[in-house]
Amino acid sequence: MKISFAKPAVPDAGALAVLVAQDAEPAAFLKDLDGTLNGALARARAAGRFEGKAGQTLSLLAPMGTDLDRIVLVGIGKAADVDSLGLQAAGGSAWAALADDKQGCIVIDGLETSRLDEGEAAAQVAYGALLRSYRFDKYRTTEKKDDKPKLSKLTVTSPEPGAAKKAWAPLEAVAAGIFLTRDLVSEPANVIHPESFAKECEKLADLGLKVTVLGEKDMKKLGMGALLGVGQGSARESQMVVMEWQGADDKKDAPVAFVGKGVCFDSGGISIKPAGGMEDMKWDMGGAGVVTGLMKALAGRKAKANVVGLIGLVENMPSGTAQRPGDVVTSASGQTIEVINTDAEGRLVLADVLWYAQEKHKPKAIIDLATLTGAIIISLGGEHAGLFSNDDGLSDKLAAAAKATGEKVWRMPMGDAYDKQIKSDIADMKNTGGREAGSITAAQFLKRFVKDGLPWAHIDIAGVTWSKKDSPTVPKGATAFGVRLLDRLVADEFEAK
Amino acid sequence: MIDISFAAALPAGGARVLGVWEGGNATAAARASVVAAQVERALAASPSFGGREGQMLTLLAPADTTAERLVLLGLGPFGELDAHRARRLGAAVAAELGCAGVAQLAVDLDLTPETAAAFAQGLVLRLPRLSPWQTRPEPAAHPTLVAATLRISATAAAETQWRAARAEAGGVLLARDLVDAPANVLTPRAFVARAQAPEALGVRVDVVQGVDALEAAGFGLLAAVGRAATEPPALVTLTWPGAGNDATPPLALVGKGITFDTGGLCVKPADGMERMKGDMGGAAAVLGAIHALAAMQAACPVVGILAIAENAVGDSALRPGDVLRSAKGLTVEVIDTDAEGRLVLADALAHAASLRPRAVVDVATLTGSVVTALGRHMAGLFCADAGFATALRDLGDAVGEQLWPLPLTADYDDDLKSDLADLLQCAPAGRFLPDALHAARFLQHFAPAGVPWAHLDIAGVATADDDRPLSPKGATGFGVRLLTALAERLARPAP
Repeated sequence: MKISFAKPAVPDAGALAVLVAQDAEPAAFLKDLDGTLNGALARARAAGRFEGKAGQTLSLLAPMGTDLDRIVLVGIGKAADVDSLGLQAAGGSAWAALADDKQGCIVIDGLETSRLDEGEAAAQVAYGALLRSYRFDKYRTTEKKDDKPKLSKLTVTSPEPGAAKKAWAPLEAVAAGIFLTRDLVSEPANVIHPESFAKECEKLADLGLKVTVLGEKDMKKLGMGALLGVGQGSARESQMVVMEWQGADDKKDAPVAFVGKGVCFDSGGISIKPAGGMEDMKWDMGGAGVVTGLMKALAGRKAKANVVGLIGLVENMPSGTAQRPGDVVTSASGQTIEVINTDAEGRLVLADVLWYAQEKHKPKAIIDLATLTGAIIISLGGEHAGLFSNDDGLSDKLAAAAKATGEKVWRMPMGDAYDKQIKSDIADMKNTGGREAGSITAAQFLKRFVKDGLPWAHIDIAGVTWSKKDSPTVPKGATAFGVRLLDRLVADEFEAK
Repeated sequence: MIDISFAAALPAGGARVLGVWEGGNATAAARASVVAAQVERALAASPSFGGREGQMLTLLAPADTTAERLVLLGLGPFGELDAHRARRLGAAVAAELGCAGVAQLAVDLDLTPETAAAFAQGLVLRLPRLSPWQTRPEPAAHPTLVAATLRISATAAAETQWRAARAEAGGVLLARDLVDAPANVLTPRAFVARAQAPEALGVRVDVVQGVDALEAAGFGLLAAVGRAATEPPALVTLTWPGAGNDATPPLALVGKGITFDTGGLCVKPADGMERMKGDMGGAAAVLGAIHALAAMQAACPVVGILAIAENAVGDSALRPGDVLRSAKGLTVEVIDTDAEGRLVLADALAHAASLRPRAVVDVATLTGSVVTALGRHMAGLFCADAGFATALRDLGDAVGEQLWPLPLTADYDDDLKSDLADLLQCAPAGRFLPDALHAARFLQHFAPAGVPWAHLDIAGVATADDDRPLSPKGATGFGVRLLTALAERLARPAP
């Protein structure tokens, strides 16, 4: 879909969406349009009980007095409350209402959006529309053309099209990162496996990222026995990918590190999962998907920060060579782990990648993302990711970024009492602490691989990586939750202003 | 409860407790005592004893003293002992010496009236218990400690502090007894009878008992949950007017009192079902708190509401799909008869709202979900009022009953939409449901509007499978000291 910005005007053809505030008098554009339509808009508003509440839409098909296929009013709620998230949502709702036409136009006129300038406001609307337009339909070979969305050209109006275009460039880059994440997460596990995932990462070198791929031999040399143990039952070779972005003026400035769990398929291994719902385990690489999309977004918008993204890619399969419950593995940190349950594999992968990230890159902060535990879904459902951290400052910054992007996090507790649950009788720790406080004990496990004093956060995204229903800017399926959040964190906290 | 006394000079005999700071320095009292030289030799001979909090070193048959033994107690980092540390230290001593053959303790620790009372409370709270149903217990499981004397010059001030601390401890022990009691002993009728006890302390006790009476009074949810059991459900209201009989609105405490939870027609798996005798832990905490507040003649008016029922299987049992009318008037479609706690609480909360309280806290062993989320070290706190939530968390930290906030938001409302009634009781079955959040949001519909309300899900902390700092394994009495502290806080003007 091609997106452009122009001054407000009624288009000659196609579909038109107009954003309408709940409590405001119709702006000049809308009054003129209603004049052209001979008052049809006002009558339709009354007939359709349209008040302009956020999320409300009203569609007039083939309105008399114009050649437009349809005119859609999109509510944005009270003008004074409208923020960039509200505008994104309105853009997303407008896209859904316009998708049947090839050509569409969204008019923002007379909105007193006190918090945003007019260029920025239009860019946010376009961003929402673009994010909503994502569709993973490459494998639907028999779907009828008429059943697919057709919108290929979208114009968003602004009194300041130049300013809108300028504000749009970084948002478009972030959207490209989000789409990469959604693609990686949506792809089935016979297509995206450790080696093919690593190949996708290598393509990002075009954007100026330094991409390094380590195979099993390299990782053996590094002593990454925890990660390798998880992958040893698979026919696919385990990989670790390091993506470096040197955007700060000072190239020697310590980077912020993002670490992602990339279990490309998680059968559970010898501790095999029940069959019902196992297909969801293709997205057990969601953390790695987010880190990869995030690196693309940061490079795409040329973020002025040094950032390194590291992902551990494995496939967790049962086989004659698979690791067994009871095995003891030695991690890159030297700490030993008794594997109680081979389905608690994500933390084993993260342990080694976290350690490598610290040893090799000496980051000033480290954040890992993982679809780590079912317990976090039982704890927080599908609206909040679980946030665990050893640092209140970093937690607060993440909470602020979450508020700004709508990718919500909820802080969960940590402490010695929970750490005791992962004591092992034969090794330094065991890889599961039981059902009770299952997400917290997973975080305690990871904390044992974080050096003292380094600000660290762990975000358990098991509940938010895949959505079963459309929301205004996130169509159902892979959400890419985390890309916007962490892009914002980097922008607000780690970039030179 | 063991006999506690405060004296300027310690009695002869028994075990003498002396303090050692972290790093191995004995306290001034220990250095000044006649046994100072022995203490120094013992410390020199025990390099692994570092004076860390709760560590203990015992010297049997010491010379130059009538004491049977000296106990060197690690106090932790040097500095002023606060009440919470003093309480933990007392508890550590009780855990170590409670069944060790020691009958008398003489505590020589430079305590203030406040920390002396806290130390004594720790002793009482952590003393090992002997189950009344064990008729031939092992001698080693018999508590032997019967009395403790704490050395302090300001004895009168210490005794004043102790009266309140003892009342609080009494409430905790009451709540634990109720939770530990098997369901054939603590039946709904028996629980109602036990709830009469605070009447002697000036608490008014009102009871609505029986399915018909509850239905007539509008408590359709509580009546429905209790109707299959052989003993009738009841709503008990305990009114403590406050020592000053002042006219401020009361603090309302609401407790879930399911004396046994089979799950009803949605019967639970057999494995672990015996634990469901403790599904009245919330009501026990509320009764314990009311008992404590009345015993200490607390200033704050408080009303306790116990929703008591047994969730049994039977021919008149509640069915999934049934639609019930609540005391508030909202109708509820039942999905899972094993999510009964939120039903009885909903009616109890509506009753609390009718009493025009200044704030409401409900306490319940409500969901397995909260145990998956927070395990057995913290209770789930659901509260939309930020100031009230912070106050509760701070109090929880101060008394060692920790709370952790969990989301109470509109995000999950779609999950509780019913096609038939105003509300679904819980979300239809699924693999990974945030049931604790659903339950809290459900309850919010019944809480009074306009006053602070908090819901504490104590399913993970009402009992413990191992010994805890302030409670031996078994029922913990979680909530009693928190709720008591809250009432005391409300009685004082904000600082």
